[in-house]
Amino acid sequence: MTFDYHEPRSLAEALALLDRYGDDAHLMAGGTATVLLMRQGLLRPGHVIGLRAIDDLRGITPTRDGGLRIGATATLRAVERSPEARMYSPALTDAFASVATVRIRNQAMVGGNLAHADPAQDPPPMLAALNATVSIRSSRGERSLPIDELAVDHFTTSLAHDEIITGVVLPPIEPGSRETYLKFLPKTADDYATVSVAATLRFAPDGTIAETRIVLGAVGPTPIRARRVEDALRGQPPSRVRDALELVPDEVDPIDDLRGSAAYKREMARVWTGRALARVTR
Amino acid sequence: MSTHRLSFTLNGTKHELEVAADRLLIEVIRDDCGATGTKLGCAVGVCGACSVLVDGELLSACLLPAVFADGRRITTVEGLAKNDLTPLQDAFIREGGFQCGICTPGQLIAATALLSEQPRPDHEAIRTWMMGNLCRCTGYYGIERAIQKASGVGGQSPPNRL
Amino acid sequence: MKFTHTATVAAPRDKVWARIMDIPSAARCVPGVASVRASGKDKYQGTLAVQIGPVRLVLDGDFVMTARDEQAGTASLKADAKDSRVGGAIRATMDLALAEKEGQTEVKIATDLAVMGRLGEFGQAVIKRKADQLMGDFAECLARQVMTAR
Repeated sequence: MTFDYHEPRSLAEALALLDRYGDDAHLMAGGTATVLLMRQGLLRPGHVIGLRAIDDLRGITPTRDGGLRIGATATLRAVERSPEARMYSPALTDAFASVATVRIRNQAMVGGNLAHADPAQDPPPMLAALNATVSIRSSRGERSLPIDELAVDHFTTSLAHDEIITGVVLPPIEPGSRETYLKFLPKTADDYATVSVAATLRFAPDGTIAETRIVLGAVGPTPIRARRVEDALRGQPPSRVRDALELVPDEVDPIDDLRGSAAYKREMARVWTGRALARVTR
Repeated sequence: MSTHRLSFTLNGTKHELEVAADRLLIEVIRDDCGATGTKLGCAVGVCGACSVLVDGELLSACLLPAVFADGRRITTVEGLAKNDLTPLQDAFIREGGFQCGICTPGQLIAATALLSEQPRPDHEAIRTWMMGNLCRCTGYYGIERAIQKASGVGGQSPPNRL
Repeated sequence: MKFTHTATVAAPRDKVWARIMDIPSAARCVPGVASVRASGKDKYQGTLAVQIGPVRLVLDGDFVMTARDEQAGTASLKADAKDSRVGGAIRATMDLALAEKEGQTEVKIATDLAVMGRLGEFGQAVIKRKADQLMGDFAECLARQVMTAR
């Protein structure tokens, strides 16, 4: 493993480095994933560009409309401890506090967590259930991407080589909305989930479900939106949840591993989606 | 391979050295600075044997690029005791908080970070926090008892005073 | 780890058989295969480049046809390949079975894959899914090839 390390002080400088080195460059935020992949010899970039010294990528700040912006180099622990994040949604705090151990959360950063595109990570399903958009910059300009469209496969995103995630923007939460994050951990508390479920739900004044978003982690190559379940529940009373849950096993695409067989994970996806929906309809 | 000038304090002593881009903090503190109290266990950030405090924050030295340490204050197990042991170290001895001892530097550092953040953690808080520090002798009861004993005593945390 | 893929090709069995037995050409149906050449009787050499996120693997290896029964429409293949930079290897056996039904041919490929060394550390899950994708693409491409060749 041999590479040059760069630590630009500004976004412009970082983008220029990316343009110069193309796909021989690898971006690094907190470095938890990058260091491991490099040490295993699986990742061999010629240039590593560290993003941690860039001021523009920092911070967790409420937006003017009542939403929340999380900078790409906010550590997972900073989100976990942020009063603004908790004020926005306690479920967001729960999801970030669920990641591995406090040591990892002190080092790992939000932008890196998203770019790594590990389908078993905790923050992406919660951010997706909260309808987040990812802010992306390149020397060609700026764009916003619904977080659903970021991960396209295991460890693979739709980002181009010259793009940097600058942050995540969460829209204001509509009054009456409820959110939850649940993680099924049959082995150890710092393990990856067998299945995780992030759910948000809002009732209409007549007591029917006006809107719900359900995103499952660790049961497919990317976080999975249970869209058919969402569609089945829209406009329906909460008594319909039980029937809708039958759709869950066909929404997910798990594989056999040490955390369970694919068939078991499909069943657990149904059970834990049920538990998540019980929390937000209670 | 690029090299980088680093300047940091390790247990209160200033170090200035030049490191290659691929070096990790655990290698620099053990091999370059000679502070071998911090152990390398799993080398993938899971076991907690390499726990260190960087500006008071608990981190895995086996996952941390050494370049990240520039300008920081690092505390390892060697930096805990001044003339006397800290109350936490004392409690580890009295309560049987270690057996073979290989995980102990990491356990002490992790518990120090816990007590500086939550001076009186309850049972659950101790377990949740210490969950990431593995003890292959499975001496967890003694470790938990020691932390409980030392909690609320104060004077645990040199990191913020260094 | 084991997986099975099937593809239906709108062509008679002998046509499909002939196509598959042209190993260097059939191998090009696996995305990422760079070169395949014969290295002996029923032996081939080749490279396969695979990208999983930021991880790029170049698998160099041998490919041997261990059994072939044209009458029954079955064949067995064994592949051994390694990535010397990463330090890992794969070993795969593939059992191929062709069956003709109403002028169409069903191609069934059963793969048993073992991943060794550092490649294994990357996560069986990821490797399995990638291998699954590759074999799926292979079966589809083969079907296309045969149909356009008709």
